[in-house]
Amino acid sequence: MSAPRPYNLVAELTYRCPLRCAYCSNPLGYAGVRDGLDAAAWTRAFAEAAELGVVHVGLTGGEPTLRADLREIVAGADLAGLYAHLVTAGTTLDTEGLAVLRDAGLRSVQLSIQDSDPTAGDAVAGVAAHERKLAFARGVRSLGMPLVLNIVLHRRNLARVPEIVALARELGATRLELANTQYYGWALANREALLPSREQLARASAEVERARRLPGGPEILFVLPDYFSDRPKPCMGGWGRRSIVVAPDGRVLPCQAAAEIAGLDFGSLREHPLAWCWSEAPGMQAFRGEAWMREPCKSCPERSRDFGGCRCQAFLLTGDAAATDPACSLSPHHGIVAAARAAAETAVAAGAPAPLRLRGGSATRVEASQ
Amino acid sequence: MSGSPAELAARLRRVLDERYHHRHPFNLRMHEGRLSPDELRTWVRNRYYYQTRIPIKDGLILAKSSDPSFRRGWVRRIHDHDGEKAGTGGLELWLRLAEAVGLDRAEVAGLRRVLPGVRDACDDYVRFVESHDLLTSVASSLTELAAGEIMKVRIAAFEQHYRWVEPEGLAYFLGRTRQAPADAAEGMAFVLENARSPEDEDRCVAALERKCEILWRLLDAVEAAHATPALSAAAKLRRDPVGAGTLAVLPERAVRLNETGREVLALCDGRRTAEEIASELARLHPDAEGVWSEVHAFLGEMTRLAVVEAPRTA
Repeated sequence: MSAPRPYNLVAELTYRCPLRCAYCSNPLGYAGVRDGLDAAAWTRAFAEAAELGVVHVGLTGGEPTLRADLREIVAGADLAGLYAHLVTAGTTLDTEGLAVLRDAGLRSVQLSIQDSDPTAGDAVAGVAAHERKLAFARGVRSLGMPLVLNIVLHRRNLARVPEIVALARELGATRLELANTQYYGWALANREALLPSREQLARASAEVERARRLPGGPEILFVLPDYFSDRPKPCMGGWGRRSIVVAPDGRVLPCQAAAEIAGLDFGSLREHPLAWCWSEAPGMQAFRGEAWMREPCKSCPERSRDFGGCRCQAFLLTGDAAATDPACSLSPHHGIVAAARAAAETAVAAGAPAPLRLRGGSATRVEASQ
Repeated sequence: MSGSPAELAARLRRVLDERYHHRHPFNLRMHEGRLSPDELRTWVRNRYYYQTRIPIKDGLILAKSSDPSFRRGWVRRIHDHDGEKAGTGGLELWLRLAEAVGLDRAEVAGLRRVLPGVRDACDDYVRFVESHDLLTSVASSLTELAAGEIMKVRIAAFEQHYRWVEPEGLAYFLGRTRQAPADAAEGMAFVLENARSPEDEDRCVAALERKCEILWRLLDAVEAAHATPALSAAAKLRRDPVGAGTLAVLPERAVRLNETGREVLALCDGRRTAEEIASELARLHPDAEGVWSEVHAFLGEMTRLAVVEAPRTA
């Protein structure tokens, strides 16, 4: 089938990061993935992406500001006419450094914050970062740039939605993304410690409703997580449909977790043009459209809305990437999700916090993968 | 095990305390005397649409009950709004208010310039009552508990700050200071008597929250008509690199604009109000039906998507 027109490019510039978040979206085997593209290669990728129809690039990682050539990369995005958006933890760049990026064409910044509570936030990040992040946020605003705050929500911070909203307002964020943890990679390894109870989510949801009525913003994103919604999320707006992810080593993927699916053959910018990697590479074709679907997805009236859910989640939970996403209550594997939910209810009721396995900590599978 | 009637009553009152539109910035400004004559007129013209939905809503509630004594009581609301004969009743009094603020009675009664956001909110209320049972529908009416008080505040505000409004226009508010408490007492007694399980109680609380939301949205739409939208600092307009058309690109999304959309955004200069922009476009396209309303709806959507910023009047 012919490939759809992509709108968005997620440029994972490096997997290096000073933070060790227990829900990091990078693969468990991140340490084996080298930064394989220089600024010239990224600039070429941006130009090729624009030709395919991409209008927006998220410069992310890991921590993208660890790239010494980030200014050249931003300039490359701007040259290609892309809207350049930096996704950062905010601990490695000062306001002057950010001003240099702005002058090179950077338009907006998304800052991750772990919590409104500094101690709790630093615990989940594995390093003392909170205060530096707040200073960085003020720097973004002092330069007049739009600031998006992203906070990953989980059992330990869901109760603090009101404080988090207050912090976002104080910092002048234009948008607040309250992103419920998605369970891949590091987050899946920590699911027992992170998955909340339904009650916690209901309370948080009510607080979000309240906050959305406050005059003066910010716009708030909050979606009930798929573990609790009985229907899968329309992951990435469909596999290979709207977004292109380029990993630090140049592999072109449909999402940030897809490299974890065993046996898929993706293209790399080190060997092929972006157009081929997007349109032709077997891995990208594998789950595009609906031909790959089996029952219950195949005849489901909702398949054009949710695209069968998330392939990575299907693979990670069932070992079969073509299975219906177990988050769907129609999936024969939904019991896996229901059991995780039940375990979370018990754990939250018991109240004792389960230990977190921080990124890069002991017992990682770094050596095993890649 | 459900709570006591007193506990349910307290929960319902807490909803009103936190969410009723007496806290809405537009009402706060109205009561502080800070609305311009045009803002006040927009409110009167649009709120009339809400008034016209009330007897319809009450008719739907009547039809849900098989108890003659309930219906005998509730039908009074329809008489209050529609009058016992032509030229009387709450709707008539509202039209007199419209005249008193300088609006054309026939134009208001014709509902031709009701903002789409107001229409949506009010229609949602009717649909809510249509699709819910008697208990929840009555619970959704309990905003009346707070209506008597807000009417008093409003009368005082008009007498003090909006002296250009002829005093005869305030008859509707005066009438409601008497009717609303009686209506509310009747509705509250019904809810407390008929909410028998915790689920019933939760449904009643949720219905009242929903109703508060509807009133809030109504004022949001009125307020937005007088805001002065500007392209947001984060938005970048560009030609679509593939195919035709224009895109507004933002940190988190791209929005496709058609030719008219571009035309509207070109007028979003942070000085013109949404109402001025809509009127201007309607003037430029005299042959196209519904332009005024579409522009308002479009600006509402663009504000929601953060393509334009329309800061509230503080």
